[in-house]
Amino acid sequence: MRLADWVVLVGTLASIVAYGLYRSRGSNTVDRYLLAGRTMPWYAMALSIMATQASAITFISTTGQSYVDGMRFVQFYFGLPIAMVVICATVVPLFYRARVYTAYEFLEKRFDGKTRTLASVIFLCQRGLSAGLTIYAPALVLSAILGWPERATTMVMGGVVVTYTVLGGIKAVTWSDVQQMCVILLGLLVALVTVVVLLPHSVSFGDAAYLAGAAGRLNAVTTNFDWRDRYNLWSGLLGGTFLFLSYFGCDQSQVQRYLTGKSIAASRLSLLFNAVAKIPMQAFILFIGAMVFVFYVFIQPPVLFQNSALTRIQATDGYADMAARYQGAFERRRDAASALLEAHHAHDAAGQERGKSDYRAAQTDMDAARRRASQLVEISGGEKGFSDTNYIFLTFVTHYLPTGIVGLVIAVILAATMSASSGEINSLATVTVVDIYKRYVRRDATDHHYLEASRWATLFWGAYAVVFAGFAGRLGPLIVAVNQVGSLFYGTLLGCFVLAIGFRRVRGTAAFAGMLTGEAAILATAAFTDVSWLWYNVIGSATVVATALLITQARRAAA
Amino acid sequence: MPQPGQVPDEPPPFLGSWRRVYIAVVVYLACIIAGFFLFTRAYR
Repeated sequence: MRLADWVVLVGTLASIVAYGLYRSRGSNTVDRYLLAGRTMPWYAMALSIMATQASAITFISTTGQSYVDGMRFVQFYFGLPIAMVVICATVVPLFYRARVYTAYEFLEKRFDGKTRTLASVIFLCQRGLSAGLTIYAPALVLSAILGWPERATTMVMGGVVVTYTVLGGIKAVTWSDVQQMCVILLGLLVALVTVVVLLPHSVSFGDAAYLAGAAGRLNAVTTNFDWRDRYNLWSGLLGGTFLFLSYFGCDQSQVQRYLTGKSIAASRLSLLFNAVAKIPMQAFILFIGAMVFVFYVFIQPPVLFQNSALTRIQATDGYADMAARYQGAFERRRDAASALLEAHHAHDAAGQERGKSDYRAAQTDMDAARRRASQLVEISGGEKGFSDTNYIFLTFVTHYLPTGIVGLVIAVILAATMSASSGEINSLATVTVVDIYKRYVRRDATDHHYLEASRWATLFWGAYAVVFAGFAGRLGPLIVAVNQVGSLFYGTLLGCFVLAIGFRRVRGTAAFAGMLTGEAAILATAAFTDVSWLWYNVIGSATVVATALLITQARRAAA
Repeated sequence: MPQPGQVPDEPPPFLGSWRRVYIAVVVYLACIIAGFFLFTRAYR
């Protein structure tokens, strides 16, 4: 990074935080601190919801995902508009009219205290584990690509997030999110334009799309059904709907965004904006990854994008052979791509078929060489299941983007980290104070007391996230396991809310027992089957509902 | 301050009713999936 990049990076982040703090003046009651006094306009909530959901890894990983596997990841979001419609029609008016601070508070109004507490504890465990990783994961990638020290990066990012979240509460979080989302969208647009400009002069935008498609990188829809495959039309529509119902309907980090709305209509509009905008935005990010792939058709990419892993395997037996195969396959792919474009321009159907065949064969050889390189990483003592997907986009950014734009893209990564992290810390503090402290420790204190408790809880969760991020590197492969923990709990929460809203005759004890059974079903599925995690929400929520209905029926029969 | 249960359900700023807005979102989803399907086929 050069001086201009640092100026862009620091200037962008400083202005985001300053604006957020400026807009948060007057957050001097619990209602204003945790729910912005329910005065937020729909567009601020809409962008805040989008920003909270989009962590840095979303941008780093999604582009890399497209580079190696194409655009089919976009199908993961097909369930989101359906989930948003269901939530707008059912959950939003219920939460809003109940005047709750948290989604779990509603469960006590509907069921009982133990069901609310179980849901709150599940949320605190799930979000608490991911809060540290939200900061750690981008710090890890930035340290590998830019050489920044991991610990210092997590401390600086975490320190900034904690400062504005503690001082300004949800208003600071939301208005910072708005700025962060604007920077993210601007950065993505600039990144795409720059990738296309950097393509060889003989390759037009249409040619680039043609080459990406010929390599299977524009495979936005795949209709084959497979339980183990996360990214196809059916898992996206069904599994995705359940996942997003859980996420936007039961996860306080999202629910708290739309509870700040000045009306039910404003809250609904903020969610429906996401229903409409999220899929095109994800497709846009994936398309950037596909264009990076085409860029590397003409400029040789490293066999591995993670430098430390590449250095590690260079001394191993088999590296020279693998590197030679990779070099040969790249040259064949580049020549085949040029021949394919010539045939395409000449409308030569036979030439195009021949060109595609050569191009894909060379791509297969390159993929095989990359797989062999990953094996060498494992053989030489590296992590099992090694993948360098998260390093592809930032390697491209730091090596080929012009000065200033590098700073902007790094600002996008940090802005995404800050927006996701601040939302998590803020919601963790809210559940801690409203569902645990106020419910079990101090029931009748003053508003000022709970305001101070909220600030201290925010500080606690912020410090916890930073400390956890600082030690996350020592977890090694456990990080992956910890990161997947979140997907183990959503189904249970969703099932409980389905019972609360859709089945009036179910009472607290049946719902509580249903939640415990649903959680056991999810854990058993994860432990003993290879069903993709996207289906855990379907299995968990169905088990919760079925168990609670059976218990309710049995109790009625006994009575 | 409105009491629980007394918050009015305002109509949306467009299309007249929330039901129509929800239908529009579902139709939009169908169109976008169809669009991506055609996009995939065109560049396959």
